[in-house]
Amino acid sequence: MSRSSSTTRARAAYRWVDERTGLTELVHKGLYEAVPEQGGWAYTLGSATLVLILLQLFTGIFLLLDYVPSVTQAWSSLNYLRTDDPFGAWVRGLHLWGAYTLILVIGLHALRTFLSASYKRPRELNWMSGVILFFLVLGLAATGAMLPWDNAAYWTATVITNILHYVPFIGDGLRQLWRGGTFVGPITLTRTFAIHIWVLPFLLFTFIGGHIYLLRRHGEFGAWVNYDTSTDNPSREVAERIRSAEPPYPTKRIERRYAAPNKTVDFFPNQLFKDTLVSAVLILFIFVMGLAGGAPLDTIANPATLTYVPTPEWFYLPLDQFLVLTPQNPLIAIGVLVIVGGGAAAMFLLPVLDRSPERRPTRRPEILVPAIFVIFAVIFLATLGVNRLYSL
Amino acid sequence: MRKHTRREFMVLGTGAGMGLIGAMLSIPAIGFVLSPLFAKRRVAWVTIGAIDSIPLNTPTVRLASLPSDQGFPTPPSNRVVYIVRKDDGSVLTLSNICTHMQCDVHWDAQINQFLCPCHGGLYDMNGVNVGGPPPQPLAQWVHRVNVDPITGQHILEVQNQLNESI
Amino acid sequence: MTLNPIPGDLLTNGVLVAIVVLLHIQIAAFLIGATTLAIVSEAIGMARRSGDERHDRLGHGLLKAEIYLFSTGAAVAIFFMIIILGAIWGRFFVALQQITFWVFFAEALTFVAEVVLIYTLYANWNRLRVHRPARLGMLFILNLAQWWQMFFIDVVASFMLSPNGGDTNFLNQILNPTEIPLTIHRTVGNIAWAGAAVAFVAAFRYWRLTRNVEHVTGSQPSLKPARSVGALAVQGVVAEPVEMREARYWDWVAQWGAMWAVGVTLLQPWLGYSYAKEIQLHEYPAWFTMMFGDLSNVFLVQITLLGAIFTIGSAYFWRRMRASGAAHYRRQGFLALLLLLVTVFAAQPAWFAFTYADVVAAHLARPFWDGGLLNPFGDFIPYKVSALIAMVFLGLWSLTIYLRSVSREQMRPGLIGRRSQALLLGLGVVVSVMMIVMGVIRENSRQPYLISGELTIHNQQIINSQPSDVGGSTG
Repeated sequence: MSRSSSTTRARAAYRWVDERTGLTELVHKGLYEAVPEQGGWAYTLGSATLVLILLQLFTGIFLLLDYVPSVTQAWSSLNYLRTDDPFGAWVRGLHLWGAYTLILVIGLHALRTFLSASYKRPRELNWMSGVILFFLVLGLAATGAMLPWDNAAYWTATVITNILHYVPFIGDGLRQLWRGGTFVGPITLTRTFAIHIWVLPFLLFTFIGGHIYLLRRHGEFGAWVNYDTSTDNPSREVAERIRSAEPPYPTKRIERRYAAPNKTVDFFPNQLFKDTLVSAVLILFIFVMGLAGGAPLDTIANPATLTYVPTPEWFYLPLDQFLVLTPQNPLIAIGVLVIVGGGAAAMFLLPVLDRSPERRPTRRPEILVPAIFVIFAVIFLATLGVNRLYSL
Repeated sequence: MRKHTRREFMVLGTGAGMGLIGAMLSIPAIGFVLSPLFAKRRVAWVTIGAIDSIPLNTPTVRLASLPSDQGFPTPPSNRVVYIVRKDDGSVLTLSNICTHMQCDVHWDAQINQFLCPCHGGLYDMNGVNVGGPPPQPLAQWVHRVNVDPITGQHILEVQNQLNESI
Repeated sequence: MTLNPIPGDLLTNGVLVAIVVLLHIQIAAFLIGATTLAIVSEAIGMARRSGDERHDRLGHGLLKAEIYLFSTGAAVAIFFMIIILGAIWGRFFVALQQITFWVFFAEALTFVAEVVLIYTLYANWNRLRVHRPARLGMLFILNLAQWWQMFFIDVVASFMLSPNGGDTNFLNQILNPTEIPLTIHRTVGNIAWAGAAVAFVAAFRYWRLTRNVEHVTGSQPSLKPARSVGALAVQGVVAEPVEMREARYWDWVAQWGAMWAVGVTLLQPWLGYSYAKEIQLHEYPAWFTMMFGDLSNVFLVQITLLGAIFTIGSAYFWRRMRASGAAHYRRQGFLALLLLLVTVFAAQPAWFAFTYADVVAAHLARPFWDGGLLNPFGDFIPYKVSALIAMVFLGLWSLTIYLRSVSREQMRPGLIGRRSQALLLGLGVVVSVMMIVMGVIRENSRQPYLISGELTIHNQQIINSQPSDVGGSTG
């Protein structure tokens, strides 16, 4: 009797909250969205990215409990974690391996979206906000690598802040602003810390909000396979599909054929199950690697070293190798900046550059061929980079 | 008509008020961010030692404990000075900062060149860039030579500044 | 017993080895590339929902060609091994065997796999059609075996160019700094060469088949492709001669080969540049010889040949697009013209001065607005590099325009003129010559050494010398 009355009381309490907040409606709106049936495993990459970003936020907060952003104490505070605090070392390992996994997964997410041409009208801003998120994550990775103030961090800070030097006209000024002086020094660390802890995460979560809002507004595009027709009268089939589409389909201002997928399933539980499974596997990997691999801590930063070989993190290796290959000439150095910046701009502006309605990869060679060229170049540069680092 | 202008006034007023708030907040904020551009540099001289102790015609490493020239005071950190003393008596006090990406170059006696481990930049004994990506020669630490009034020795001193922007 | 040295002087030995090796490498490179192309062709054919007979036939053709060439190539290789390396260059080859014993051992093992697979596939191609995934898998393993052959021999070849102080540790030989770039450069080059060879053969077959066909003259562009003989036949409206159907197939094969030849060659300037960079970092004298020394003009010839590949490819695409009446064919023609200009521009110092040393000696190592021979970057190397970058971007654009016409189904096979096939015959020849020039540059850059800095050609004929000399040469 007491049990049933307590259940009734809990229900009443929930009704009270629900009446004042609209919680049930919110949860239903979040869970029961139509998503295309085919390709669900590929769509898990987006949610995995979000989960991994939240993991970074979570572990980052814990690292803040101990870390001191000062050139004299940053290294010792992390060394203390390493030697005296097994859980601290593990959390640091989680933060590092979480970052590695995040970069890999966000890259795959972008590649998937690119191949399925999900960036086309009306989802251009989904893509653009995603590209901004991608660069923010890379920026977080770069600034985060500078914070431990060991040799690796010091030389990363030196090289990365020095990239600004090659910006025409204002480059040296920008470099000085970030470094807080001519050389990497005490202000460099505090400024980088502020960027890593506040500026970039603030922008990151702002754009994540926009990204998810746009996703819900236009619905998951999926891939072209979801829009194949199977009857003799495709236009009629498409019209019927649009008529019976569940929200958020059909999206306005889109080629009719790609307005609504031929078959949808509910986000919950079909898609959420896959999302959860993928995220769980990734987190398990990070969990194990964080404990087994941990995060390395070099000897404390020494600007007077003659033997230390600065090596970039693996995801900056292609860029680093590109620098090795550029000849000795100030004009070319700016040319490199133009090529890399132009590539980034092209990535951002992709939906504006490719406005044909075609979605199949084989039907848009004008985009795919240059992209394959670039992807090949990146892989090749990474291979050369590994080859160089091993033959040093 | 009168109502219309009252509404317009309020629209304008709201815009102006928000603009004022933004302007008031951005002046100190932007100034704060830009302060390293205007901050005064703390120039310091550090003694390296007697010049006679440096071998001729071969880059020799000396560490100089240089204080940071900007930012809040922190303990000075070591910097590498490659001293090249030539036959004609001139002295170069090369920094080991690569002019490409500012990595730590070192003298490689096998190839008789300064080598940068990051991207393979090469410099000759005078610090002139001779290979790889570096766009300009190695910079020197600003230096001067004092004569010790008692012993008469030539004493080399360096500043925590480079002689050119890299 | 006194052994007499094998007769022959440096020149005959050098020329003989050059001829045999160049023949050997042209056959070997084709074999590896052809298998890769067969895999790609099979994969595309399988991915098409309606069974694509053309791809099956192309794969079979490639494999047949491989069988004939493999037998010939094996004979050449044995001749090469026993007569030249064993008898004439015995001392060098024994030394090389001692240094890289396990590499050669693995090299030999891969041939077992290759021989088994290549003959099995050849004999059972049609029978295996019902098991297409299995056939594809066998092709893949075959290609893997061939690729490892190249990988291992690249270990030896890169050891000869950059011995890195003569390190004989097996792992260090594999991770020789110039090994990986060389292997990637060659892997891509094999595909380009096989593609060009396929285009060459197909162009020749097309040309022979259309001898008596009046419609395909090439002199007048077919402005209404839907009403031409070939296009009507596609729709099955009129009965067509067998020659015409065959010609359509060979036209398709020709453009397929040309597409791969031009497409993957777009990657080669990149890869070659990186390879040269590793040589610069680890074997500076050889690099200097190639870029500024005696071979610098040969190197410019090579860049001219590279430009010729892109120009010919673009011109061929333009002719084919024009024959089919595809949209933007004029743009393709314009690109071919631009590529021609860039190629001429890139070759300029080569024709006015023979080597960089000559440019300097003639006091012309200054920008051309000062009456010199150099480009606005003011240096010899960026001059070539900027020309290469321009070539790559124009070539990429040209290929993209062509592929867009293909994917928009604007191309009709069998309409291109007979005379246009000369372009593909030229493409095959240019690629072949380019491989030879590249081999000449690579092998001569370390003159007079056979193993750079370790072993020269001069002491080859003394067979009775002390074995300890051989050991000492490995450093």
